[in-house]
Amino acid sequence: MSSYTRNAYTRILLGILVANLVAIILVGASKYLVTYLEGNHAGNSSGVFIFSSFIVVPLLMGAISAWYWHPLQLKTLAYIGWSAVSTLVASAASFIFLKEGAICLIIVSPLILCFTLTGALLARTVYRRKNNTLNSSLAGLALLVLLADTFSSHENVRLVSDTLIVNAPIETVWPHVVEYKPITLEETYWLFQVGMPSPVQSTVDGYEAGAGRKCIFSNGYVFDEKMIVYKPNEELTFDILSQPHDPEIMGHIDILRGQFILKDNGNGTTTVIGNSWYKLYVFPGWYFNLWSESITRNVHLRVMEHIKILSEKNV
Amino acid sequence: MFDWIVTHFGFLKHVPLLPHVFDAWLKLVSLFTNKNLSDYIDDIEAEVLSWQHTDVSAHKYGGVQFNAFNRELGHIHGNGLLDILFSQTQKLVLMNRYPIQHHHVFKHSGWVSFKIKTVSDKKLAIELLRAAYIQNNS
Repeated sequence: MSSYTRNAYTRILLGILVANLVAIILVGASKYLVTYLEGNHAGNSSGVFIFSSFIVVPLLMGAISAWYWHPLQLKTLAYIGWSAVSTLVASAASFIFLKEGAICLIIVSPLILCFTLTGALLARTVYRRKNNTLNSSLAGLALLVLLADTFSSHENVRLVSDTLIVNAPIETVWPHVVEYKPITLEETYWLFQVGMPSPVQSTVDGYEAGAGRKCIFSNGYVFDEKMIVYKPNEELTFDILSQPHDPEIMGHIDILRGQFILKDNGNGTTTVIGNSWYKLYVFPGWYFNLWSESITRNVHLRVMEHIKILSEKNV
Repeated sequence: MFDWIVTHFGFLKHVPLLPHVFDAWLKLVSLFTNKNLSDYIDDIEAEVLSWQHTDVSAHKYGGVQFNAFNRELGHIHGNGLLDILFSQTQKLVLMNRYPIQHHHVFKHSGWVSFKIKTVSDKKLAIELLRAAYIQNNS
């Protein structure tokens, strides 16, 4: 890459900068337009990121970059390298202008890189054929998809469920489900290890339906909850009343409800089922659900493992 | 990995753009498994484009497609898998002479598959594409 001329560097940098500028304008405009259109359905999110933001816009970014790069006859390896640089610039721009968090950017970067590279390599082939009608048709089609996506409904509520067997009777397990002492277990989930807040403690204001509950996370964040079902040794269901507005993943997901169901196995052990309902504000759902399910599952397991240790200590 | 995905998720190749995204992912993965592969593919592309009446396009199922005389000669996927179309007779002759195999999906057609990994594979790939080019020109 060191053998580039000054003109080549200018074209490469222009390809990155113009692509990112267009991306910021498109993502910013679509984000606030969708949030405005969704009205109250947008919930506590700071804005809805439609699937186009992570698919159509990166494809366009790649195509715009390739427009500047294709006269340079760059090798595929250079396209991969400079597309990675463009993804880094996009991540930095999102951090600065869209106030995104670092972990959120770690999650989204592979998606952006893959689609930016796809756009760049496809566009390189298309530009070689020098068919301007085809070029403008493809750009028009991409913008049409972006517009159609912006004006479509965006509703993505999911449930994550996990089960754990505790070697203790149900009446020993129940108190630790309602509230538990600080978790001292070592972090094993890699996102918790790199700084994502993990659950630490739960406290309650009372022992009845309607009472308040708090779930405290490692960075001091508190989820305020209200217990709506309180059936000792059977079920605890709570709605999330308020959650922290962190620029990380919290800004793009609303945790709606949590639930613990206990079942007596009849042999001195108890089955604990943990359920969480959440609403995602980032699309495509098939990609972000992989992450949100994994994160929610690890929150569940950290709490449930803690409950298991506390309960089995008392047997 | 490639064969497993093609076998189990091959039906997804009809989803617009998805094969191209998959191919870009293959290119990214190949960087870690064989960092010279993308250069080999670039060299093959440059060589084929130096022949008369040839051009390249994006293959509908991902990869670079080589065309000559308005017909497809073959294509290379992002993992270096070269697919070339020959007549059935020529396919059998070439399969006896070179370490090439039946096409990874269409085994009973004139298509052959060849995995490019090394510089000598690159040379053989060019030789095979040249044979397909001559076949199409005759």
